Amino acid sequence: MFSLAVAHLAHRKLRTALSILAVSIGIMMLVVMLALSHGMLNEVADRIQSVDAELIVLPENENVIFTAGAAFSGKYAPVIDAFEYGGRRVVKQTIGVMLDTLHMGGQQQRLFGVDRADMSAFLGRREVVRGRLFDEGRAFGDRLDGLRNENGYYDPALVGEAELLAACELVIDERLARVGDYEVGDEVIFLGRPFEIVGVVESGVAGRVFCPIQVLQYVKNGGVPWVSLFFVKLHPPPLAGGDQDRLRVGPSEASAGGGASQVSYEEAIADALSERIKAKVELKGAYRDLMYESFSQVYVYINVASGMALIVCFIIILLSMYTMVLERTREIGILKSLGAGRAYLIGLSVVEATLVCVCGTTLGLGLAIGAKLGLEAAKPLLTVSIEPAFVLIALGIGIIGGVLSALYPGYRAARLDPVAALSME
Amino acid sequence: MANSDGIILRAERIRHTYRSDGIETPVLHGVDLAVRRAEFVTIMGPSGCGKTTLLNVLGLMMRPTGGAVEIDGSRVDGLGDGEQTMLRRGKLGFVFQRFNLLPVLSAERNVALALELRGKSDRHDAERNRSAGQRVAEALDRVGLSDKRRHKPGALSVGEQQRVAIARAIVGRPRLLLADEPTGNLDSRNAAIVLDLLADLNRSDGLTVVMITHNEHLADRADRVLTMIDGRFEQQ
Repeated sequence: MFSLAVAHLAHRKLRTALSILAVSIGIMMLVVMLALSHGMLNEVADRIQSVDAELIVLPENENVIFTAGAAFSGKYAPVIDAFEYGGRRVVKQTIGVMLDTLHMGGQQQRLFGVDRADMSAFLGRREVVRGRLFDEGRAFGDRLDGLRNENGYYDPALVGEAELLAACELVIDERLARVGDYEVGDEVIFLGRPFEIVGVVESGVAGRVFCPIQVLQYVKNGGVPWVSLFFVKLHPPPLAGGDQDRLRVGPSEASAGGGASQVSYEEAIADALSERIKAKVELKGAYRDLMYESFSQVYVYINVASGMALIVCFIIILLSMYTMVLERTREIGILKSLGAGRAYLIGLSVVEATLVCVCGTTLGLGLAIGAKLGLEAAKPLLTVSIEPAFVLIALGIGIIGGVLSALYPGYRAARLDPVAALSME
Repeated sequence: MANSDGIILRAERIRHTYRSDGIETPVLHGVDLAVRRAEFVTIMGPSGCGKTTLLNVLGLMMRPTGGAVEIDGSRVDGLGDGEQTMLRRGKLGFVFQRFNLLPVLSAERNVALALELRGKSDRHDAERNRSAGQRVAEALDRVGLSDKRRHKPGALSVGEQQRVAIARAIVGRPRLLLADEPTGNLDSRNAAIVLDLLADLNRSDGLTVVMITHNEHLADRADRVLTMIDGRFEQQ
């Protein structure tokens, strides 16, 4: 059966090639769309995971993915710092971040406004590969702190334009530097002012672009120390030994929503902190899920588009196989006269279609890799990640689709009357 | 094995009527036929008299409107499609006027296909231990085409194509060979070769042959010649 199927495919080279091409285009579309969408989201999520913190705090009505600007009062910082859980202070560091966007490297970039003193939480083990960090010695930050009253406010008029311009500095990551061909010393116009790129850090940090949060607050809020969100770093759990990062605590210790299942140390604190400050507290580890949740509508579109492409491909296979049955009516009669049963004829159709689909899927995966390389060359900031799961999905869909699209033509072949089939020219 | 009276194929009161668009065309009008084991029977008659229809009924390719067919003493006309397929695969060999080789396969693959289809029905064959390749080679050798086993049908002469078709029909060691005008598309030289081959298979191997032909000279080679006119045998 296999050799006959191969012989059939080899006999009709053009049709076989077109069928393989049809399947490969569908598979390529599926894999590239998955790789593009998941790659981009995962890349952002991975970068957020690099922040040395466990919780993200933001206003109750804000979305952690889309929040930006001065949405959150900076007065929450000391409250969060002093938060106690189980009779002890649990917050090690509260990191205010003001988010904004600017155009660099050919597309909009998310700008992280961060205090110079907090940059270590974002860098982790990553190094400054060229230049230096912004606001060296935290001179600008200290200068503004010296102007603040007991409420944290200061009179913007006390800060001169020259002083501000000197603090308009950016740090970017290597990938953006490479894509935008940026060098230390280059200037980028943002908020009507020239910002100097003073340093380049290794890729993988939460943001591609960082600047002093004080500059953003000055320009956008007149110095009011509001932020977009806080990253919160916790002290380790009280017990020594074991898996301290994921210590399990009983539901009685969780302040809210404990239910019957146990919650983690971070979850328990997040719930309690949320209750305390009436704000939304998300686990940093849940950021990826939140992203997928936020873009769920986009995934519906992607899945529908990919599915439609595949359906068209498999209809082409079905038509191809059906045409084959019509073309080979006489041959089917011969096979029946030789004693080929229904199972053999359906099997022959399935084997042929499966061979086409396996070849098409393999070619499609090759094309997807080509498309990935092409996309990344054309748009280097895109992350197109072809994961093993996508390859398995493609193979599964290719094979199952091939089998399904061959069943009806095979069934038609099996039902042909052998005498009538043999009388066909 | 044939039944006790030596009859391997028996047809009784076979009737068949074609129906198309409400029009009925009776073709066979109660044909009776009994073929002994190792007999060579030819059926002659004018076009449209029902020869090929009868052969299709005997070969289980078509269900008759009425009547009974026995092969090896067993009634087979009422069997299901699957059982008839198994019988066709295991006990019958066909040779057609138009050869009916698969153009995409070489001569040896065409022959091997018949063995492949026999599959499990070949389990009780006395020669089951011999490789399929050996049997294919022997069948092609028997029809004198060992040297052209890798040729596709398009690269063979019509006479050679029919010999490949005969090799395909005999490779599974059928009990009964049904040949529908096997020389109809051949010149006289090739027709003689094919007929010699069928006669030799009948004499040497004891293969029962039922052959339709228009050629009276070829028919003379058979043990028995039946003439069909208007859907029944002349002597009936």
